[in-house]
Amino acid sequence: MKVKDIMLRNTASVLPECNLEEVIKIMALQRMNGIPVVDENQKVVGFISNHDIIKALLPNYLGIINSNTFITEFIHLSKKLREYANHKVEEFMKRDIKTVNEDDNEVMAADMLIRYRIHHLPVIRNGYLVGIVTMKDLLKAMLENKENQENEKVEVK
Amino acid sequence: MITTVTLNPAIDITLELNQFILNEYNLVHQVSRIPGGKGINVSKAVRAYGSDTMALGFLGGNTGHLIADKLRDYGIITNFWHIEEETRTNIIIVDHKNQTHTLLSDPGPKICKRDLEHFKSIFSRVMSQSKIVVISGSLPIDVDNDIYYQLIELAHQKKVKALLDASGIVFEKGLEAKPILAKPDLRATGNRVFDKVIDDQETAIKIAHEIINRGVEIAVISYQDTKDIIATKEEVWLAETIDQKVVNIIGTAEAMLAGFAIKLVQEEKEETDKVIRFAMACGLASALTEEEEFHTREDIDRCLPYIKITKLK
Repeated sequence: MKVKDIMLRNTASVLPECNLEEVIKIMALQRMNGIPVVDENQKVVGFISNHDIIKALLPNYLGIINSNTFITEFIHLSKKLREYANHKVEEFMKRDIKTVNEDDNEVMAADMLIRYRIHHLPVIRNGYLVGIVTMKDLLKAMLENKENQENEKVEVK
Repeated sequence: MITTVTLNPAIDITLELNQFILNEYNLVHQVSRIPGGKGINVSKAVRAYGSDTMALGFLGGNTGHLIADKLRDYGIITNFWHIEEETRTNIIIVDHKNQTHTLLSDPGPKICKRDLEHFKSIFSRVMSQSKIVVISGSLPIDVDNDIYYQLIELAHQKKVKALLDASGIVFEKGLEAKPILAKPDLRATGNRVFDKVIDDQETAIKIAHEIINRGVEIAVISYQDTKDIIATKEEVWLAETIDQKVVNIIGTAEAMLAGFAIKLVQEEKEETDKVIRFAMACGLASALTEEEEFHTREDIDRCLPYIKITKLK
């Protein structure tokens, strides 16, 4: 199975100059938790997720998320979001991002998602963005993969 | 990569029933939901042949997501700008007893200037990974009629060939940017182009020459259901399909455009008559296949002998 057989063929992306308010709206309308950042030639230069935004504006939020202080931190986050609404995506995006080629296999994609603890893997063809793969897509594909089912039957015999 | 643009897509919901009676409870026997719009249909035909394609345009709301999901299932890459207003829905009621088709057409959402600027930014970026772009179809409310001119100019800046299929003033303005191929959509204008009505072969040839004189390399005039005039600077061809049992006319013209795009994107150049025959066979293969199904590369091969081509000049 190749990555191109399981990827989500959506190449929605934003430019590094896009501001925070816009990228939040774009992710909401696209129903995505994260979106690749590309240059003027559609080459991937970064990735931004909801998590990256919250982490940048509320650096210790993972530590307080299950505590009572989260409510006050939440108000703080709202304020910060408004304050940073016009700041550019390039301030918040991850730059050194992992990508996978569309002809690579699913094992390689799964390995990268787990090894680097990431949720989205942009898929590339000739250096250009052609899709995105997530652990959810991989799990679904593994479950439905007929090749695997056939191999299991052979093993049982 | 063959990229297509659909600024005003729709989901076509076809409701089939034995008899449609007004003011009564009507039980629908079959429902189909198919993404529609000229550019989308071109992408579907490109994909049916097995080539890579990306669809661009505007989508909105749940209908928009339904269209995007279906296109991705077909193997089409999507890069739509999502808007807040819902994408339009066309309802087609098919009454088998009375043999009627009733179409209820939704005008679609408004596109604001900000949305258009975002779309142009996406379009320009995507041109970097495209070899050909097919720009076709009607415009949403409030979009300037020179938008296709602007898009063709943006494509040319990245050395991408453009194919134009539009009607009226939008078509004429688009021609000013000199696309490689242009085909007026005659249905929306009562067969009228440049203020002339195309009602015979002679007028079709005249109009084709007028298009060529405006800097286009290939002009295509579908002046009858089964007859097309294709002109270049040096040649004029008449292409006809020999009688076949047509089951679906939706998407035929777009499948023909897809055929031209597939051939023009190839590295090695083919003779004009071969390109025309292939494009017409793509159109015929689509016409012989139900709308919700996909024709195949083999269907196109099977259709090639049913295309008659005559060189008129």
